[in-house]
This record gives sequence, C-alpha cells and structure tokens, in this order.
Amino acid sequence: MKVLRVQNSATDSGKSSTADGKSWAEFELAKEEHILLWHLLQQYPLVPPRHQRLSRNGADQEDNQQLLEEALRERRTANRRKVELMLKEAGRFLAIPDTENLRVTFTFGELDWLLQICNDLRVGSWLALGAPDLDVRPELKGKPDTARYYFNMEVSGFFEMQFIRALHGGVAAGAEDGGDDLE
Amino acid sequence: MTECKRHCTQSFDWERKSDYTVGMAAIETPEVLPDIKKETGTDPRDQLDAGYLVICWNDPVNLMVYVTHVFQTVFGWSRTKATKHMREVHEQGKSVLIRESMEKAEFYVHELQKYTLHATMERDAK
Repeated sequence: MKVLRVQNSATDSGKSSTADGKSWAEFELAKEEHILLWHLLQQYPLVPPRHQRLSRNGADQEDNQQLLEEALRERRTANRRKVELMLKEAGRFLAIPDTENLRVTFTFGELDWLLQICNDLRVGSWLALGAPDLDVRPELKGKPDTARYYFNMEVSGFFEMQFIRALHGGVAAGAEDGGDDLE
Repeated sequence: MTECKRHCTQSFDWERKSDYTVGMAAIETPEVLPDIKKETGTDPRDQLDAGYLVICWNDPVNLMVYVTHVFQTVFGWSRTKATKHMREVHEQGKSVLIRESMEKAEFYVHELQKYTLHATMERDAK
C-alpha cells in the first residue's frame, strides 16, 4: 500500500483539515491488501464497552460512567453502520488498468475515522489475547483464535501507519521520534 | 442541545391580565408544599472549577505515532508538544495532558477514548 497523492487544504487555510472535507489522500493498494482491509473492518468493534473508565478512583461518578458507556455504544453503532456502507459502496475501490492493484480515495475525515476503527480492532485484539507483553511473540501453532487476534493487531497497525502517513503529508507523525514503535 | 422553541417563541399579551388573575382568589386550593430533597448530585461549582486532570496512561499496544497524532488532533497541539506528552506516557507510565473543569475534562476523556487511548480524569488533589 502506498500514498499516491495528498491534498491538504489546511496548508492554505490553516484550519482543521479533518473536518472540511476538502482534504483527501489517494492510495494504491494490492488486491491482497484490499482483502485484508475488508476482513479487518468487518470485525469492528472488538473493544468491550466496559473497558473504558472515566476515572480510576471516581467511585462517585457512576452516573457519568454510564453516560460515557452509552455515548461510546452509540458511536460504535454509528461507526459499524458506516463501515458496512463503506464496504458495500460501489466505486470506492477502483481497479488500476493493467495491474492487479486498486485505487482508493479517502477524505481526511474518513481517514481519522478509519484510524479510530483500526485502533479499536488493534486494542480489542490485544485485550482478547489477554493484554500480553508485545515484545514476546505468542505461540500461534494450533491456536486459531490467538493467531486471528495477533494477525488483526499486526494488520490494523499496518493500516494505521499508512493512514497517519497520509494525514501528515506523507511522513508519519513522530517518525523521527520513534518510528512505528509501540507506546 | 435542544432548543426550547416553546419558551423562546411564546409572547405574552401583558394587557390581558384577566386571563391570569380573574377568579384566582375565589378558588380554594390546598396548600401544597414542595418536597425538599437533599441534593446528592455534583455541586455546580465543581463543574466550573478547573480542578480536574485529564491523564493518559501507558497502553503498550498503541503505536507511538498514533498517540502523537491523537494528541495533535484532540488538543490541536504542535507535533513537538504532542510528542513530549507521548514520551511521558511511554517513559513514565502516564502524562497529565490538561487541567480543566469537570465538564471539559469529561469531553476530552471522551474524545481520547474515541481513539481507544487509555485516558481518565482525576480530581486534582492540590
């Protein structure tokens, strides 16, 4: 997958570029990458709603916690609907003549939204694996669930990097400060 | 926020006092005193007091570039400032991102959690 072109309206206006709909990025991706993205997005969401806490010691904020979970649940339902629409949308992914590759354009708003989706899948997969230490690769042989979640983590991380690279004009944010290292 | 059209568009004809006053004295109604309930909710002053810290905690699964990007997007920070806080999260286990009122702190926590970052708000002990 590579970034073909980026149009960032913020360079002229200085305003937020994810909201105006005028900034976009065009990608070229291999047929296999398209299939990977399709399979990945279909699994959204993976993070359980109770995972997010408003406060670590806020026992008196149970009402607010419930509101937060409700809001997150609503957002995920809306996101899920958007994912389904995107996957069904005809003409979103266009074949590049004389190749097996595809071309796709996302607005910056869509990229920001896709980042949220991909990271939900990444964090959700990590939680499903039992929140392991990522320096040690888990044993995958004969463990299809482990393999699936580990694979999800890697693939979503790959797409996140591509989307961030596009949002920051082709150079990943903080690349010089740690590359694609983990937090 | 829902706009209250009923109250905003209703106009009273103050000359027509009769609608509101005539006959009122003649009607005897039992005196009903409102129940006095103890306020158990949050003191409104708490909501305005900038005494809440928005904290991001280390989660080893999040990519460093992703965390930096989210800080830039949510707070509108420069890459340098966003990277500094990302580094704090990575090296010290957490970073205090901002000190705000309860309402705003909730907003920021919600925004950060949209991106699946491990963020909470805590009352500042100071």
